[in-house]
Amino acid sequence: MGRSRLRRDPARRAVVTGLGAVTPIGNDVATFWSSLTAGTSGIATITLFDPSDLEVRIAAEVKAFEPRDWMDFKQARRMSRFAQLAVAAARQAIDDSGLEIGDHNRDDVAVVVNTGGGGVQEVAAGEDTLTSRGADRVSPFMVPMMSPSMAAAQISIQNGIRGPVITSVAACASGVQAFLEAQRLIERGDVDVVIAGGTESAIIPVSFAALANMGALSKRNDDPTAASRPFDADRDGFVFGEGAGVLVMEAAEHADARGAAILADVPGGALTGDAFHISAPDPSGYGATLAMRRAVGDAGLEMEQVQYVVAHGTSTPLNDATETRAIRAAFGEHADRLAVSSNKSMVGHTLGAAGAISALAAVLAIRDGLIPPTINYSRPDPACDLDYVPNEARRQRVNVAITNGFGFGGQNAVTVFSRHAG
Amino acid sequence: MQRRAVVTGLGIVSPVGIGSEATWDALVSGRSGIADITLFDATQFDPHVAGEVKGFDATAFMDPKDARRHDRNTHFAVAATGEALRDAGLLGENGLVGADVDADRFGMVFGTGIGGIGIMLEGHRTLLERGPRRVSPFMLPHMLPDSASGQVAIQYGIRGPNMAIVSACATGGHAVGEAMETIVRGQADIMLGAGTEAPLVPLAFAGFGQMRALGTPRDPDTGEYDAAMASRPFDATRDGFVVSEGSAVLVIEELEHARARGARPIAEVIGYGSSADAFDMAAPAERGEGNQRAMRAALSRAGIGPEAVDYINAHGTSTPLNDRYETMAIREVFGEHADRLAVSSTKSMIGHAMGAAGAIEAYVCAKVLATGCIPPTINYRHPDPELTLDYVPNTARAADVRVALSNSMGLGGHNSSVILRRLED
Repeated sequence: MGRSRLRRDPARRAVVTGLGAVTPIGNDVATFWSSLTAGTSGIATITLFDPSDLEVRIAAEVKAFEPRDWMDFKQARRMSRFAQLAVAAARQAIDDSGLEIGDHNRDDVAVVVNTGGGGVQEVAAGEDTLTSRGADRVSPFMVPMMSPSMAAAQISIQNGIRGPVITSVAACASGVQAFLEAQRLIERGDVDVVIAGGTESAIIPVSFAALANMGALSKRNDDPTAASRPFDADRDGFVFGEGAGVLVMEAAEHADARGAAILADVPGGALTGDAFHISAPDPSGYGATLAMRRAVGDAGLEMEQVQYVVAHGTSTPLNDATETRAIRAAFGEHADRLAVSSNKSMVGHTLGAAGAISALAAVLAIRDGLIPPTINYSRPDPACDLDYVPNEARRQRVNVAITNGFGFGGQNAVTVFSRHAG
Repeated sequence: MQRRAVVTGLGIVSPVGIGSEATWDALVSGRSGIADITLFDATQFDPHVAGEVKGFDATAFMDPKDARRHDRNTHFAVAATGEALRDAGLLGENGLVGADVDADRFGMVFGTGIGGIGIMLEGHRTLLERGPRRVSPFMLPHMLPDSASGQVAIQYGIRGPNMAIVSACATGGHAVGEAMETIVRGQADIMLGAGTEAPLVPLAFAGFGQMRALGTPRDPDTGEYDAAMASRPFDATRDGFVVSEGSAVLVIEELEHARARGARPIAEVIGYGSSADAFDMAAPAERGEGNQRAMRAALSRAGIGPEAVDYINAHGTSTPLNDRYETMAIREVFGEHADRLAVSSTKSMIGHAMGAAGAIEAYVCAKVLATGCIPPTINYRHPDPELTLDYVPNTARAADVRVALSNSMGLGGHNSSVILRRLED
């Protein structure tokens, strides 16, 4: 079912050759991965603004991020934080891949970096200026800074990349969606390399007010590191976070030709819509089940070959139960043999970056044979009865991992990562 | 066999009309939709003209409760989609996509430049004036750029691949192109390629005003105030664009799928090209270099030479730089054939609907192919010595157009071009 109706050329298979991360638990890939596998939480009381009059006062913030480490000061000043995080993660990923971008290839490289809200900080700041100081004090850079497409655009500008530069938004599924788009660009031969990922930075009061009023956020203000507890019976909502994750993806033949180290293959993926509700998941999990089945089918694999599911696992009562049901429906008996873990237990829910951070977890699990845990898992919920790799990382060879990303409005995106078949 | 993507339905909500009939009639009559802003008190801004959608009542297209919660960009999207689905014969009597269509293989790429900025600002104001607990719980899911694509899917029961694409003012072209590629690649049988935008909030006028990007609403000859004269693409006196709003939806369908259900293909989407300037976050690259590469990529994807193209729906924003560089780019790519092209700018009448612009202009291309009538570039009086293409000045023209190309470019250096062809058996 759902298998792509076109034959796929193995030479054009998308592979991963570089990683970059700016996250609440580390501003580079090595720190991120050691924190993630050690079960370190990145959640704390909000520091980016004074949260004292808010109902929810905790977040997963990126700490001690210094834009000047990654770009020049003047450029950084004209970028919203979501773009700065993405430019930094892209710099790391490109360096990691050993890819040189120059006149010989700049038209054959693309950027697909997605986001949920883009520069909402600039919108809020611009509105404050407009109302308190007047129209002629609003920054002429506000419009370009707030555009959600500006993370991808700045990566293109900073690195001289002139192929397609795309930002697609599927709410919390955005980060996963980026890899599907990247895979498509590579397989159909539009470009050889895609800088793909997701970014988000919306740690502003109005986000917390709105999310808290939706009843979506955990209210454990007094115990921040225990607030995000996906699949645990006492979970009470997600913790809002920020960050960026970027992968360098390229055609297998291109990676081989330049002798690049291949970290994983990206053999397939799928995107579906629930057509159900603007913020609640379809309780049947139908769209999510369909996306997982289609993704594995698209990759030319059987469901039984999947070993690790990087869960969407937000820590909301509804998502985690629905996702569990959807995984059971998609995998049948094999669901009991899966390792399923949620990095949101540590990095919170970074919306448009979440899928990209999950992709890093999938690729690194395949590389190192180490599955990061779901932390804060202490009381089993009868509605969540899979193996969530509780509290401690697990040594296990992983050949095939999938990442789930489900968004407001019912977008479901699933990407498949597998051990390189070369 | 190569899968082919054809347009089987069109829907539009624009400053010159709600619905395709009203919009097309205005466009071929050369009527401007640009006037003084009425959506809020804009007197503090200069200029204060816009392309507003007039007389639009969201509750005519969606449940009043949904309408109240959603942003205006989502209202437009839902309205334009309804028309497009009916036009394509896809809407069942219960208001959902008909049971004879596999809703899981029906998806959409619904682009926008900024999404629900109106909702976001409303939430921000509430926070400041009335405190955090009064902020609407619906604010967040309804302000995201993909809330229109989510609501359209919900309202019509469309369950396949679903996303919004954002590339500033190049968005609409990317949405149509990516929708076409999704079909050709076999991941869906029907896709909406669409765009929507409702950016007419005070902050936008402050921001664009500070960028000195907006056109002056004066008759360049008499100096008299004239809102409809603010957008003058390719004219020597052009001095900026006009912000506008609206939505356009193309139902794009696999050819055999369309034939099997007896649908009437309007045109075929044959080419799509995308590129980045990698130059500057606000200014376009010299000589429209990035635009050139997008047009070349679209021609190559379509497997046709430049001489096969008859009509270009220009990005034509009416800014000094865009129109000059786009003209140069067209000359570079089309060589001598450039003098045989008809090139017109819909933005002369509709203004610049940002993330919806490319979809609106792809709609225009489909209509040009279907009707053999090219809408003009209005307000064209003073030829610019450097801009020497045939801009179809002021009056619509009957022409045998077989292939049409639509250009879109955006802040940050995004470029997209799509090519449509008349369907001939």
